[in-house]
Amino acid sequence: MARLKIDNLRKSYGPVEVLKGIDLEIEDGGFLVLVGPSGCGKSTLLNCIAGLEDISGGDILIGERSVTGLHPSKRDIAMVFQSYALYPNMTVEKNISFGMEIRGMPRAAREAAINEVADMLQIRELLKRKPSQLSGGQRQRVAMGRALVRDPQVFLFDEPLSNLDAKLRVDMRTEIKRLHQRMGTTIVYVTHDQIEALTLATKIAVLKDGELLQFGTPDQIYNDPVNMFVADFMGSPSMNLLPATVVEDGGALMVSLAGHEGDMLLPAPESAAMRALLGRQVIFGIRPEAFTDPQGADRTTGQIEKRTCFVDVVEPAGSDTFAVVNLGGKSAVARLRADAQIAPGAVTELAFNMSKAVFFDPASQARVQ
Amino acid sequence: MSAAGQDIALKGSRITRFVIYTVLIVFAIFYLLPLYVMLTNSLKPLEEIRGGGMLSLPKVWTLEPWRAAWSHAQIGVSPTGLKPFFINSIMMVVPAVVLSTFMGAMNGYVLTKWSFRGSGVVFGLLLLACFIPFQIVLIPMARILGLIGLAGTTWGLVLVHTIYGLGFTTLFFRNYYAAFPTELVRAAQIDGASFFQIFWRILAPSSAPIVVVTVIWQFTNVWNDFLFGVSFADFDSIPMTVALNNLVNSSTGVKEYNVHFAGAILAALPTLVVYIVSGRYFVRGLMAGAVKG
Ligand SMILES: Nc1ncnc2c1ncn2[C@@H]1O[C@H](COP(=O)(O)OP(=O)(O)OP(=O)(O)O)[C@@H](O)[C@H]1O
Ligand SMILES: [Mg+2]
Repeated sequence: MARLKIDNLRKSYGPVEVLKGIDLEIEDGGFLVLVGPSGCGKSTLLNCIAGLEDISGGDILIGERSVTGLHPSKRDIAMVFQSYALYPNMTVEKNISFGMEIRGMPRAAREAAINEVADMLQIRELLKRKPSQLSGGQRQRVAMGRALVRDPQVFLFDEPLSNLDAKLRVDMRTEIKRLHQRMGTTIVYVTHDQIEALTLATKIAVLKDGELLQFGTPDQIYNDPVNMFVADFMGSPSMNLLPATVVEDGGALMVSLAGHEGDMLLPAPESAAMRALLGRQVIFGIRPEAFTDPQGADRTTGQIEKRTCFVDVVEPAGSDTFAVVNLGGKSAVARLRADAQIAPGAVTELAFNMSKAVFFDPASQARVQ
Repeated sequence: MSAAGQDIALKGSRITRFVIYTVLIVFAIFYLLPLYVMLTNSLKPLEEIRGGGMLSLPKVWTLEPWRAAWSHAQIGVSPTGLKPFFINSIMMVVPAVVLSTFMGAMNGYVLTKWSFRGSGVVFGLLLLACFIPFQIVLIPMARILGLIGLAGTTWGLVLVHTIYGLGFTTLFFRNYYAAFPTELVRAAQIDGASFFQIFWRILAPSSAPIVVVTVIWQFTNVWNDFLFGVSFADFDSIPMTVALNNLVNSSTGVKEYNVHFAGAILAALPTLVVYIVSGRYFVRGLMAGAVKG
């Protein structure tokens, strides 16, 4: 177990720069999740940590040791691939023991290690089978088993759940979380799925086009996004990002949104940055759960603002009811209690939790604090 | 209405089937006819052939032409039969096939899984070897064989065929391994396996179909080669194809057609055996290699 530090990491394929100076650090026993849209460089970053790709600049430290230039097998890491990469010609048992065999571990020790992970992952009855005779979830577990027998400093997971169906995905997610809690090994985990990121991570890194946009705890990423991209990318349904105008009303800064009957005013935080945008456009961001029916609103915060809105569509979803509201010229999603009395086409009062509201500059997309 | 439609469909399919089978049978007969002629005539005494009726079955069955072709027919100047040359061919084909297949596999492995700056160019150059006509390389090759002291030897022929086969074997293996998941190689690297360990333990066990394709291809090409054999072989390294030619051309006096037929079948037999034994893998392997690349 060790901390992992990535220092100004650069990676180019010929003239194409895929990673543009990434700085990350995850403490011993931490769970770092890399998220970002397809092609942003997540797998490349993981492969650089594993040593499967040479880096073009910067440094990677595992523990206190720089691993740059070290062969993958010497880095004390284990990796679970997106396709699981189980050796098709070997049985499950051989798959798990292959690495130990290569390292010249004695047979008895190998068997003990196999037995241990087989019990941990409940794959004992699969040991004699070939990978082609396994289901997706079983393959995934075998791939984990192969990584687990190494007892490495750092685990690397490249979208390990993306090939599974929705139900199995949720189960395996819990399984991975349990495993992490039990073993306490540092993990770097790549995913597309922001729910996976939020549930598993101790730290999240959001990447886009080879750049690190934000690095922080799930709470920071979710509640304090540094720009519109992060705000939009994390959370489901995603944050409402509504065009508004900064105005002054009786000395206080306000944002004005186009409502169903004229403009609607909501209080904006008093700050120099906000004041600089006076009279200009701003993007008002509010998550669906902070935009709800007055009975369901969070009463612990003193910043509930109630406004009447025109409800366009109502989408009951079991545990919640989603209402699509016309706001700022766009469709905003409000998340109401499941049994909220609401009908489409009605004008009703909804509550904005302004302590959760965030504002962005539409030109730079950056957060306005 | 639907029943009637089905009826028509059935009848239609029966007619199509009939046509297909007829065509297939006609073609099969057409292609089998030469083999039939060779086989029947190799089992007749010479007088029967000369008496006409190439297509009739032997009246007197005899294995003597086969015995003659194999062990005491006149080849060139000495009455050795084809046996020593058959052995020459085997001594040439087996190492040439093994070497070119193994080196093709290595090339394919490196070109797809350890590609380096300029590996595309290297592959392009290797491919070029597939398009160079044999005749062009004859004289330079003779010179090189002379320089390295392999002129006129079986090993000289092995070298020539290995080099000439490399373009094709590399192409086969490269295309096959291009479709082989790179993640497996990466997983093995993390497991600590070396370059050769990855090849032998991970890639090789999954390579059977393409090995079969390559072996059939190389075996037939090397076995059937005439030009290199006639150009580079000395008397004690002459391959089967050249010997067969000598057999047919050197019979003094009467042409022993029955012996010639037997000799020709003997010359074709090994490739036939290779096809029959592994032919079904051939198509499968070609398909697998064609998926990606
Ligand atoms: N060998 C390569 N040569 C050139 N460009 C490459 C190579 N490998 C990856 N890239 C490029 O690097 C970028 C990042 O790729 P990477 O595989 O890291 O994306 P990713 O974030 O893992 O995407 P996904 O979520 O789809 O897996 C992509 O734009 C890709 O085209
Ligand atoms: Mg990826």
